[in-house]
Amino acid sequence: MTDIATRGTRVVATTGGRSRHNGGGPRAGTIIAFLIPFFLPFVLFYLVPIAYAIGQSFLVVRRTGGQYGTSYTTFGGFDQYVQVFQNTEFWNSIGRIGLFGIVQVPVMLFVALIMALLLDTPLLKLKAFFRIAAFMPYAVPGVIAAIMWSFLYSPQLSPVVDVLKAIGLQPDFLGPGAVLWSAANVSTWLWTGYNMLIMFSALQAIPQELYEAAKLDGASNWAIAWKIKVPIIAPSIILTTVFSIIGTLQLYGEPAVLRQISSNISSTFTPNMLAYAVASGNNYQQAAAISVVIAVVTFVLSFGFMRLTSKRAGL
Amino acid sequence: MSNTATRIRLAGAVVAAAASIAGLAACSSPAPSGDAAAAAPAAACEPAKGNVTLQYWNTVPGMDQVVALWNKNNPNIQVEMKNISNDQYGTIGNALKAGKAPELAQVGYDELPDLRTQNAFVDASACADATAAKSKFVPWTWSQTSFGDTGVFAFPQDTGPMALYVRSDIFKKHDLEIPKTWDEYAADAQKLHDADPNLSITFFDPNNAEWFNGLLWQNNAEMYGYSGDKWHVTVESDQSKQVAEYWQKLIDAKLVRTDLAHGSTPMYAAYQKNQIATYVGAAWGYSMFRDNLPDQSGKWTIVPMPTWGSSAASGDWGGSTVAFMKGNTHLYESVKFNSWLNTDPEALALENKLGGLYPAATAGSALPALAEGVPYYNNEKIFDVFADSSKNIDTSFTWGPTQKTVNLALQDALAKAAAGDGKLADALTAAQAAALKSMQDQAIPAVAGN
Repeated sequence: MTDIATRGTRVVATTGGRSRHNGGGPRAGTIIAFLIPFFLPFVLFYLVPIAYAIGQSFLVVRRTGGQYGTSYTTFGGFDQYVQVFQNTEFWNSIGRIGLFGIVQVPVMLFVALIMALLLDTPLLKLKAFFRIAAFMPYAVPGVIAAIMWSFLYSPQLSPVVDVLKAIGLQPDFLGPGAVLWSAANVSTWLWTGYNMLIMFSALQAIPQELYEAAKLDGASNWAIAWKIKVPIIAPSIILTTVFSIIGTLQLYGEPAVLRQISSNISSTFTPNMLAYAVASGNNYQQAAAISVVIAVVTFVLSFGFMRLTSKRAGL
Repeated sequence: MSNTATRIRLAGAVVAAAASIAGLAACSSPAPSGDAAAAAPAAACEPAKGNVTLQYWNTVPGMDQVVALWNKNNPNIQVEMKNISNDQYGTIGNALKAGKAPELAQVGYDELPDLRTQNAFVDASACADATAAKSKFVPWTWSQTSFGDTGVFAFPQDTGPMALYVRSDIFKKHDLEIPKTWDEYAADAQKLHDADPNLSITFFDPNNAEWFNGLLWQNNAEMYGYSGDKWHVTVESDQSKQVAEYWQKLIDAKLVRTDLAHGSTPMYAAYQKNQIATYVGAAWGYSMFRDNLPDQSGKWTIVPMPTWGSSAASGDWGGSTVAFMKGNTHLYESVKFNSWLNTDPEALALENKLGGLYPAATAGSALPALAEGVPYYNNEKIFDVFADSSKNIDTSFTWGPTQKTVNLALQDALAKAAAGDGKLADALTAAQAAALKSMQDQAIPAVAGN
């Protein structure tokens, strides 16, 4: 313990002393030693694959020698990107997750916010229980959750469907119109607790004095929640929104599992599924181009959202 | 693998990754020069000087015991196997890319042209035993593994001759005859539906292109041909449309279910609840029903697949080969093992018992296990039905070089049609277009039609 504490202090000292020592000498060595555990994997498993994918996306396959001739790759400019943008399946998948995101993200975050605010009120009993219960789905691996839900959706297996049929409804959770929302429901179930916890921990950090001051001024619990708590935790709400936008664009697990029992989820249902399907057909260059486009869209949307909201919220 | 080896390999990966950053600008592979572009000659077939260890990757349950039997009797040719059922073609594809392919790997018939297009195989025809093996296998299997006798790239292992599984108790209850043709089958479907709207004759799984392809194969719907240095894509043909339109009629009349995925828990639940009366399946399916629906023992019978008119033709669904992989420098030993693995009665019997394989070797039908009645099926000699089916499979059926992509496109479009958006026949148009597009992407010369 002491050792770690000392080292911690030294790092601070080193950073603080950078202007005096100009980075040279044994302290630079220390910095490098501390950074390597992060930077080496970061370069190897993050930057290199990205660079490799970008490189692949500018290649096209050529072949010599007929039916089973030898293939080789050569520079093809933006050929793969042109094909991505001409692919209707690509636009369909973008449209699908766009719809998914516009509905699912606000619903999930609103529910998470309400739950976080409820947990933060003195009115609620059994707080620890509710906190754990709400967070529990996040502890379930996504694939397991999707399999579990797929059994609840299947008319052959589901007690839910049986009950709904008994009261005269004809639910078709896996039908062509409903299956997107069935997938959205799995995502919501999985991630609401996680987002709630981020918002809840932000609420916990608000000093009690603010509430006392508000109470003295005659603010109701309702007013405290909406006029004090929510504006203060706005950065957390923005953060969870950005995470959710990224998660939506990368949607893969839930629909891929539901696809096992419903043919209404196509092999190109989401952009990531499309990239996977294209790669499994040996067209790695096209798959790389799709991946790069998804990455750029994700980057633009998440940073765009952050800039937009930070200006509005004056953060 | 020892720790040292792991560490060396890791270090190598780091170096390679570093090199790949430096070389990213020039990461395209160079065009082969004129000589290299010519068809690679068959590799030499010399026995090795010392002991040899072969790598063999497969997905067959119980194959470790078969390999152990070989290893016990062949100390000089040891085989190490790896089960790759988690991601068969992903694992093989990655190993090929890394230049670390095993000597032998299990490859489905429909993936052979695809992998050969990726230069995945070596030609073992320099080995006399390899070319001589032709007579030991069912003709269509050899036709596909030798690519029409242009080399020996794999030995056939098992097949999936198709037949009709029938719930004889349901048929008896509704006073139905066993259908001999697809027309009779459709008539029976109507009668079952009229008698009980919750009872369907079978299900149509749009996400099972392999099964649908088996139906196409039965109707002589050749999907591909090769002549004049070009692939000829005929996925959309009169024969394939006939199959699509037949099932479209059954779907439109709600005589078949479209909500069940093959092999899924809901599918077994539907059979368990007596909602489905037949199953259009392959030989390997016999153990699926036996193992998943033990309560229905004695209620099933297996009869020949319904035919198109007077043609006796049947279809094949699935089955695999054991391919000679690129970089194999022990062809002599590989042929010896591969030949034993897929023609020796003791090996075939074990594979049938443990893995449920229906052998591609003609000697397979003489196996005692395949000559006996099967208790689950009322002690009927069900393998006689599959043997007859096997004899009636068109030998010239050819798979395409981008079959996986075509199958996905076919499935997506069949699913749309099954959900009411378009017709099944439109899926053939979509699959035809996907075939041409994917071949163009891979720079494979192709034209539409004959």
